Amino acid sequence: MEGATARPTPLVIDRLTVRYGERVGIQDLTLVVRPGEIYGLLGSNGAGKSTTMKTIVGLQRPDSGSVRVFGFDPTTGGVEAKQRIGYVPETPLLFDALTPWEFLEFVASVRRMEGEAVTKRAARYAEALQLTPELHQPIATLSMGNRQKVLLVAALLHRPPLLVLDEPFHSLDPRAVRIARDLLRQHASEGRGAVLISTHTMEVAERLCDRAGILDRGRLVGEGTISELQGSHSHNLEEAFLKLTREDEGVRAAVESLGQE
Amino acid sequence: MTGSWREAYRLQQRAFPELAYEAIYAVRQGNLAPNFPPSEIARRSMRRVVQSKLLVSILLGLVALGTTAVLGPTAKSLLAPDLAPALYVATVLVGLLVLELALIWWTGLQVLPTFLSSPILPTLETLPVPSATVDRAGFLLFLRLFDLPAATTVVLTPIAVGLALHSVLAGLAILPGAISVVVFALSLALVTGRFFVRHVQGSPGGSSRMALRWAYLVLWAIPAFAMYGYVTIGPRAVAWLSGVVATGPAGIVDGLLAAYPFPLASLPSLAANGALSGTGSGPGPVLVVLAGSLAYGLLTILLAGWLLTAPRSLTTTRAAGAYTDSGSLRLVTRSAPVSILVKDLRIASRTPAFAFLILLPLLDAVAIGGWTLLSGPDPTEALNIASAAAATAALLATFFSPAFFAIELMGYSYTRTLPLSQRSLILGKVLLVAGVYLLSAGTVLVITLARLFDPLPFALFVLAELPAVLAAAFLEIGILVRVARRRGLPITNLYSGSWWATAVAVPGVIVAGAPLALFELGRASSPALGMGLLALVAIVELGGAATFSLLGAGGGTN
Repeated sequence: MEGATARPTPLVIDRLTVRYGERVGIQDLTLVVRPGEIYGLLGSNGAGKSTTMKTIVGLQRPDSGSVRVFGFDPTTGGVEAKQRIGYVPETPLLFDALTPWEFLEFVASVRRMEGEAVTKRAARYAEALQLTPELHQPIATLSMGNRQKVLLVAALLHRPPLLVLDEPFHSLDPRAVRIARDLLRQHASEGRGAVLISTHTMEVAERLCDRAGILDRGRLVGEGTISELQGSHSHNLEEAFLKLTREDEGVRAAVESLGQE
Repeated sequence: MTGSWREAYRLQQRAFPELAYEAIYAVRQGNLAPNFPPSEIARRSMRRVVQSKLLVSILLGLVALGTTAVLGPTAKSLLAPDLAPALYVATVLVGLLVLELALIWWTGLQVLPTFLSSPILPTLETLPVPSATVDRAGFLLFLRLFDLPAATTVVLTPIAVGLALHSVLAGLAILPGAISVVVFALSLALVTGRFFVRHVQGSPGGSSRMALRWAYLVLWAIPAFAMYGYVTIGPRAVAWLSGVVATGPAGIVDGLLAAYPFPLASLPSLAANGALSGTGSGPGPVLVVLAGSLAYGLLTILLAGWLLTAPRSLTTTRAAGAYTDSGSLRLVTRSAPVSILVKDLRIASRTPAFAFLILLPLLDAVAIGGWTLLSGPDPTEALNIASAAAATAALLATFFSPAFFAIELMGYSYTRTLPLSQRSLILGKVLLVAGVYLLSAGTVLVITLARLFDPLPFALFVLAELPAVLAAAFLEIGILVRVARRRGLPITNLYSGSWWATAVAVPGVIVAGAPLALFELGRASSPALGMGLLALVAIVELGGAATFSLLGAGGGTN
């Protein structure tokens, strides 16, 4: 438990295991995201990043271990935990029949926000992300990138103390990526909140994250600040990633075999 | 390059399990993948799709076989003693064919969102197969969504007609009509589906646009009204027709016989008797029937040809143009239950399957209210009819409560990440059910006011039944929230989740209907006793159901 004067820890994951039938999604994962920190969760496709994210936001139940968001269990004390989270899922699946503005109204209502303040904030974020022209079109008609922008605005709307972002940039254009990155930095640096972001793009991690954890087949195989991870492997995060996930030999062999054809 | 049916069949065999999977588990709409091995998921999806098609087919079969009772001389002597036998048979068969068309069309409306959101055909297009083969695969996939209901119509309709008219020839003669309604229904499903994607689903926000969408959706709900119309308006329609034929202008019979699907429905009488007895002298009516049948037969063939390529074009249809209406830039926040209600109304205004469920009790109220107004009964009788209309609205609204919960399917996975308590979710849905009931009852009141004279007894009846409607909604939504929490999956659309919807709706309808039954029993002694029993039982039910639903749900998120 947090001490009375201590700053509460945004996210504590302790020996978390999630299984899909016989298959292991996450195995014995332990990590902590501190206040004001941007933590990157790196991993190949299927490494368990999205499973981790879904468990944090209460979509997936752990088979063992625990997740605490500011001390609250998202699977049992759901409302308390979820009030403190802003979430962008990996696949931007929303209520397709609503417009982004209608969707934001719904999210703001559920989060019990005041109309005036939230209107200004939503309009500002939408403007920054060049989403304004799309605000009154049904979500079904939007591109993947614009859907992702809608989710990003919805996640930032209540200035959550913990942002959980599952591959939030993969459909965004470079301008939107830059703005989103700055928004996240601002969010963390102004002491408003911590950010957990999953990605398999090393550049995103290098430019944005303070610390990172590397997931491989559901296990955390490496963790540290970006410079620590880079420093131990030729100052290159990609090399570090490949070494820690034991993919470096496999990559080399695959490239050689392609060259022989 | 020419297409290959064999290759197309092989492709749809591979693709259909994906369509079934999407229809049942709706992963593309945000649900988590079920926690089973892939082979088990595919098996379950396919089984549940078959179950749903079976349910529609059983309904179609019952309708076809039930018609045999109405075709007999006893029913005719009761419904239309003066109508010519051939016209009577044709009229009943027109009712049957229109009902079959409407049910298949409506099934199509239920499945279309899944078919449209599925990227299966665009994926097949990337394969190195001729374009015509992809067209055919699309056609076979589309056809497979309707195969069992379509086969039931084509097989059971001739059997039912043959049995009823004691003639194999008569049975065979309805076959073109049965085939025609299947083709017309599939075509209508596609045309309306395309219209839906372009102008309803793709319509921008704003209250005036929402009103326009609801106006479109009233049109959408009409085919589903066919079952109701067949049962309630059918007998009156036959009597009306009898009067028109007897007193109407010359040529009215020929005009009627030319209208779709009258010629095709007249063929059994013609085949069984060699003539259309009682339709007048001369070959005129027979020629009209034969020419009409030929024309509609040709149209059916043309439509069947169009269907071969149309499903593929449907899946590439997108909303029309860009809209420039920027609307109001003000976020209006509401309480969580009201925000659920507003969201559902907005979604329903762009989703015909859900809009229909809201509109049906209202249309029912308009139909019965309108009939009461026009038929001009005395105030006591008008009160009885208006109360019956309100009771029907209560039962319909509660019967459809499970489907109102199914609206959550879209974006369910995201909603579950919001701090939305189960209580708020339940209250939001109960508000919707209560709103539909009260709006329907209000509509009845407005329409029948001129006949009721004193609206107070009607208003008291509506208010006394209200707690029972709320109780039924609490019970149904409470059960579904528990199921969703346990399984992590809400029921899906009516097509794929119809078993669940029906299983949960039955106790709800019993809860809503029990006070009405007691009302009927009680008022035999005195109207006050009936009303008292209704109110008392309804309030007790509400107490029990709300406790079960809200305390059971707790404050946790959905």
